[in-house]
Amino acid sequence: MNFSREEHPYGTPAAARADLAGLRDEDLIVRVQEGERKAFDELAARYKNRLFSFILRMVKDPVLAEELTQETLIRVYIHAAKYREIARFSTWVFTIATNLVRNKMRQRSRRPLLLSLNPAPADDEMPLDPADPVADPSEEIQRRELASVINEATASIPEKYRIPFLLREVEQLSYEEIQQVTGLKLGTVRSRINRARNRFRQLVKPLLRDETLLEELEMIEARVAAEKDDPS
Amino acid sequence: MRCNKARHFLSQAMDEQLPPAETRELDAHLDDCAACREYCSDLATGRRLLKSTAPALPDSFEWRLQIKLNQALRQSAGETAYPWQETESTGRRWVGPFTTSASLGLAAVLALAMFLAPYSQTPLPVSASGNLAAGDQVAANQVSDRLPLLGTQASPFSFSGPVQRSVSREGALRIGSQPRNFGLERAWSGNPLEDLMTIQNLRLRNQRLNNQLYQYQHQIRLLRARLDRADSNGLDLGE
Repeated sequence: MNFSREEHPYGTPAAARADLAGLRDEDLIVRVQEGERKAFDELAARYKNRLFSFILRMVKDPVLAEELTQETLIRVYIHAAKYREIARFSTWVFTIATNLVRNKMRQRSRRPLLLSLNPAPADDEMPLDPADPVADPSEEIQRRELASVINEATASIPEKYRIPFLLREVEQLSYEEIQQVTGLKLGTVRSRINRARNRFRQLVKPLLRDETLLEELEMIEARVAAEKDDPS
Repeated sequence: MRCNKARHFLSQAMDEQLPPAETRELDAHLDDCAACREYCSDLATGRRLLKSTAPALPDSFEWRLQIKLNQALRQSAGETAYPWQETESTGRRWVGPFTTSASLGLAAVLALAMFLAPYSQTPLPVSASGNLAAGDQVAANQVSDRLPLLGTQASPFSFSGPVQRSVSREGALRIGSQPRNFGLERAWSGNPLEDLMTIQNLRLRNQRLNNQLYQYQHQIRLLRARLDRADSNGLDLGE
């Protein structure tokens, strides 16, 4: 089927992206239900890093985290018809991700002796991505070291506290949404988040008193804010 | 208020979940308790640390996702993702149809039909333009019923342009100026068992070619993705 530029149902590709960028997640998933693949691409672009960040802090293995992120997004596409707008889209996505992570961790705990011959590289051993537009590589290395410490600390929080904690602190889901994702009672969600915060504080306490680190943190936040303002 | 209770309230206050009366109580406690103020500051810094060190995926994630999604869609549609990635169990599916009683029955009927069909006794005269003489059309159609693979005048898949054809007594087809015969030296032998083997061999050959095609398509997608990345990053691949 040939469409001229004016006749194309989505207009030009750039116009289609701009069009989709203004839509809510819930509107996009309705379009995915209608079979619009571009709407799925937009949702994937919005959620890929959030999901990866959440899953990586759960499983600690970047390769596995990437696989589970892919799996989550694929399930979103394949089971899009099952989504009903009684819950926010983010709640639905993180429910899928949480279930996948739990299943994977259960499998791991059943087969603890199966070790990979090629263990996944630690976060600070991963090669720098040439696509990463960081002007100063030493700043990137510092950021990775810091991320590695934070990830270690997060991973040592018991799983039952870690899931609500990450959903709240990183994904900023509301208590009610966390309740829907985890199936816990509201009071339990509240107390588990509180316990996890306390535990996390104890683990990173030496860092919290480090003046250099706090300066570094401000620099990172400024860079992230600048990137957000100007994504190019 | 005791510090334990204040710290529990603090966590809720961070998420704006604390009712106003408790918030006032907490504020009053924080004014007096330096340890709880420090605790409050630690929680806020911890949250900042978590946010600022959020890992990001590499750019290649998106096209890897597209490939995996396509695989998943093929699998959910009942197809093998890529035939060369078949597991042993899915591999049997290619052979399976030949072993079921239904397909054996179908093959037997086909063989019987070919055996009972009348043979053309004379070579078919073919004009220079590839058109059959009108008087031989009936005979050609009879043969074409048994020659569906390579096509004749009656076949919708026949070759266009000047083609020299002749059909021997045994029903084998020879093509003169065909650009490529794809390794098919003959069509039907007249022997039903041999012809069944020919069908099976052609099917297997078709699967092998499909496999190759999928592999080339996959490689093209990978190369395109690399080129896209190289273009967007302004990098020289050095290859």
